[in-house]
Parts: sequence; structure tokens; C-alpha cells
Amino acid sequence: MTLKPGAELGPRRIDPVDSEAMCTLAEILGDPNPIHLDAAAARAAGLGDRPVNQGPANFGYVLDMLRSSIPEGHVVELHVRLLGSVFAGDSVVAGGRIDSVDWVADAAHASCTVWLDVEDGQRALTGTAVLKVPQARATPTSPA
Amino acid sequence: MVVDLAALPGTRLPEGRFTITAEENARLVRALGGRGLSEGEAHPVWGYIATQRGIGIDVADLLALAAFDIADGPMLASCMLTFAIPLRVNREYRVEGEVVGVERKDGRRAGMFDLLTVEERLLEGERLAATVRNVFVLPRKERA
Repeated sequence: MTLKPGAELGPRRIDPVDSEAMCTLAEILGDPNPIHLDAAAARAAGLGDRPVNQGPANFGYVLDMLRSSIPEGHVVELHVRLLGSVFAGDSVVAGGRIDSVDWVADAAHASCTVWLDVEDGQRALTGTAVLKVPQARATPTSPA
Repeated sequence: MVVDLAALPGTRLPEGRFTITAEENARLVRALGGRGLSEGEAHPVWGYIATQRGIGIDVADLLALAAFDIADGPMLASCMLTFAIPLRVNREYRVEGEVVGVERKDGRRAGMFDLLTVEERLLEGERLAATVRNVFVLPRKERA
């Protein structure tokens, strides 16, 4: 894609957030908290009637959205604030926007705003990211 | 147990080691539903996972340093990931970190809670690979 301020990133849709994938992620994260595995545990904790997706999975979706949008770059920074829960069965959309592009040595650094929204619901996550794209792979807006 | 929260910042955490296996990396990518990675590349969300799993103290014991019981429902409020170099699979990282800060808050709706900030780093030998700074919300049932 063309690296320029205002360019939209994504969207990347996860539909639905899968409870089996949440079980796999619980193992990988080493997080045995039953609210991620069992609707009854989520209910008992007062969190609703469905298992709660892991926070790192939510920013994992955002990282994948960035990787898909700018495949020639790699993430050098991601700062996210977790605003709300995502539940099994939800449909979520990760998106973003390039705010600025700076050239540092031989690479473009694209500073972005990112988010994750629950469709028909609230914003679950917001944040910023910086992607580094080597000059040889960056299109347009190269330094003068 | 009475804990002097003001004395916590600067507390070094026990070091550990972590290797992102190719198999776990592939399971993670599938669970997140993202696109494949290039040969040897680890998903960037491992910056969070590898530090949490690799540091030489589990989350329950980490929170206990702040006299907080993990059963009382800690929440990850924010996460800042910074990558000096992309993470790779089948490479052993040294994991180190410390408590950065503890800040007491008294919200009108949320009541009393502490914000615990912890920084952890992944190193290849002495070379920094990634830094993660997590802020946990620790709801306090009773006023101090």
C-alpha cells in the first residue's frame, strides 16, 4: 500500500470470535482463568453469559491487521489501552489509520492510530502503533 | 500482610528464559486467524506472551508483591510493546524485568484501585529484542 498520512488500514474482521480458539490461546498464554473457557465462570464473575476473550488476543488481531495492511513492514511499537471486553461469538473489526510517515535513516516509520470494535457494540481497544518499512520496499512518499 | 506499596517500584523480578517454538507459533497464528508468517518469524504478540511466561515469577506471585489476590480480578489496562528487532522462533530469550510503579486511585464509580506498572524485556544474549510495559488494574475491596 501507499504509505501516506490519512491512509486507512484494514479492516480485518474476526467473525465470530471462536471459543475453541480461546481454549488454544489459554494454553499458549499460560492463562488458566476459567472466565476465558467456561460461560458459567464468566457468569459467576458477573461478566455476562459468554466466555471472555483474552486481552492479548484482542491486540493480536490488531497486530495481524497491521501485518496484512503493510506486509512489507514490521511493527516496532504498539501501545494499546483495553477499554472493554470481547466475548465468544462476538464479531469484531480491527482497523487503523496512518497519522504520519517519517524517514529515519533508510526506512519509513509509519505512525498509526489503531482500534478494535465490537460490531454493533463498543470499542474494545484503542491505541497507537509504529511500523518500520525498509526504503527499498516502501512505495511513494519517499524522502525528497 | 502489610505491604509498603511505595517501596515496590524498582523491585527486580526473578530472571527467566523462554523459547518460542515453531509449533506454538503456528498454533497461535491459527488461533488468531491471521495470515502466515515468513520462515522463522514469530508473531509479534509473543512480545507479551514470552515475557509473561518467561519471567521467573508467575502472575499470581507478581500481584502478591502488591498484596493483591489474583482471585480478586485483576485487569490488564494497557500494554506497550516495543521491538528492537523482530522476534524469531526456536531462539532462546533471556527475560528480565522490574516493577516500575504503583499508583493508588479512588474513582467515583470504580472505587479504590491500584495501577501496577511492570516492565519486562526479552534479550538475545545481551542484545535487547523487545520491551513490554503492562499496566494492571488491581481493584481494592476495602479502602486503605
